[in-house]
Amino acid sequence: MTAPLLEATNLQFAYGDRPVLRDVSLTLARGEVVALLGPNGTGKSTLIRVLLGHLRADRGQVLWENRDVRAWPRRAFARRVAYLPQSPTADPDQRVADVLRTGRAPYWGAFGLESAHDVAIVSDVARQLDLIELLPRPMAELSGGQRQLVFLARCLVQQPVALLLDEPNTFLDLRHQVDLGQRLRRLAKEQGLAVLMASHDLNLAGALADRLILLDAGVVAAEGSADRVLDPQVVGKVYGLPMRRLDVPGQVQPLIWPDLR
Amino acid sequence: MLATLVIALLVWAAVASACMLVGSTGHIGIPSDPNIRRFVLPYRIEIVLIASLVGAALGAAGVVYQAILRNPLADPYLLGVSSGASLLSLLWYVGALATISVSFQAIGQQAFAFAGAMLSIGIVLLIASRRGRIEPVTLILVGVIVNAVNGSLYLLIYFRHPELVARGGVFTFLVGGIQTNLTRQQEWLAAGCVGVGWILLFYLAGQLNVAPLGEAEAEALGVRIQRLRWAGLVVASVMTASVVAISGPIGFVGLVCPHLARLIVGSDQRRLLPAATALGAALLALADAASRYLSRESLLHTQMPVGVLTGLLGGPFFLLLLWQNRRRTEATP
Repeated sequence: MTAPLLEATNLQFAYGDRPVLRDVSLTLARGEVVALLGPNGTGKSTLIRVLLGHLRADRGQVLWENRDVRAWPRRAFARRVAYLPQSPTADPDQRVADVLRTGRAPYWGAFGLESAHDVAIVSDVARQLDLIELLPRPMAELSGGQRQLVFLARCLVQQPVALLLDEPNTFLDLRHQVDLGQRLRRLAKEQGLAVLMASHDLNLAGALADRLILLDAGVVAAEGSADRVLDPQVVGKVYGLPMRRLDVPGQVQPLIWPDLR
Repeated sequence: MLATLVIALLVWAAVASACMLVGSTGHIGIPSDPNIRRFVLPYRIEIVLIASLVGAALGAAGVVYQAILRNPLADPYLLGVSSGASLLSLLWYVGALATISVSFQAIGQQAFAFAGAMLSIGIVLLIASRRGRIEPVTLILVGVIVNAVNGSLYLLIYFRHPELVARGGVFTFLVGGIQTNLTRQQEWLAAGCVGVGWILLFYLAGQLNVAPLGEAEAEALGVRIQRLRWAGLVVASVMTASVVAISGPIGFVGLVCPHLARLIVGSDQRRLLPAATALGAALLALADAASRYLSRESLLHTQMPVGVLTGLLGGPFFLLLLWQNRRRTEATP
């Protein structure tokens, strides 16, 4: 196997004297989809922001392509790694096309001049995600699912090799969750994108991701295939709930849900 | 982007030429006597150019303030620039009256106003920043407080000096107008500040599109958001200070022009900045011509500063904008 795109080792991070990440190591390679799981407040968002270099780890190291994340120039980094936050912002008056164009910010020349190439990328991505008809519409008119797709498109316009998403499913219904997951999977498999996404839906993540990482109070409680991580014992302990597991015939990954009896 | 720049320039040029038809006494038309014309025209050109300079700076600074402070109600005076200028202008006036020394007067009210504006915005940035980081909401709060303190100090000084009350004319420092007593040097200084500042802002315009986003998002798009906030606010404030120094505070231009420009060219800062600049220049030149006309002996019998007019017209106009905007957003839930 080639060297991983991202290699993070022994990360520790605290907000003041409140430790959030105690000891987290993880890797991310091109072409794989990794889901970050765990209860609220367990450090998923913090971990993502440490990986992006927005927060500085108290201890440990984040290497992107063998270079420390804080040593990357911001613009160069933005051409390699895109980030979709939990609640992305947009001016309601802004048109979809304008939002997508800001994805080219890391490539703009002086005075924010766009090249023909920048314009072409925007329309390519819009076509790929079926957003062409939405381009002239203001953001205020879009549904939650459409909005999320626009923000995903803005990330892709950056032409990244890695995409970090913080709970992209928060405002999506089931169909749009599956749709988004499948799109991400296709991008990973067809274009070699590395995808790391925080999620709350254990089963959906199990079905769509190549690998799961389960965080528990700032440490990795379990990591690996869905079969290995979605273990009632492990998950039950992390969430403080009795869990049951169901193996579906003809399906590799198991289903898991709280035992409410 | 280039097209917007050219069209904006043409629109301004057209309006500015029209404004030159209004004389300082409110008389409309160009005098037929060539001797009078030779005397009057350079003077009119100067007035229209100064009004344009002030309006352009306010329009451009308004765009940048609104983007960086992420607030559609922000204007270039929000962080204390104008109240600081007014306060030090008054101090200068008190000093000038008391000492009657020529050297004190020679420093000039304009220099004091500029110093006051920079001092005021400096204090706001100093209080609002934490470890070099500035955050829009804190900035606005500190700006409002500093403005209030400046206003109170202004009144305190005013009432402590009865000779000011008797003399009147002190309100010029509160409501601006296009002054005609400027030296060439002052004019060129202001024009230089505005010109250089504008080019810097235009250079940042692309990145300013990202400024209204969340901090993490902007960083993820490769924009150093803290650096952008500092650069944008400092440059816009210096521009504002240099025109407030020569004109005093003229309300609503910096608030209304960015909104008006947004209606015409959309929200892309690279087009918004030139459009709002030209609109500011054109509208203030127009408002100044209108106030000269209205100040005619037969109408108001007094010299009305243009700041009064922009306030009177700008307020209702802005309400109209707000109202329309609300109707539109209510129609699309």
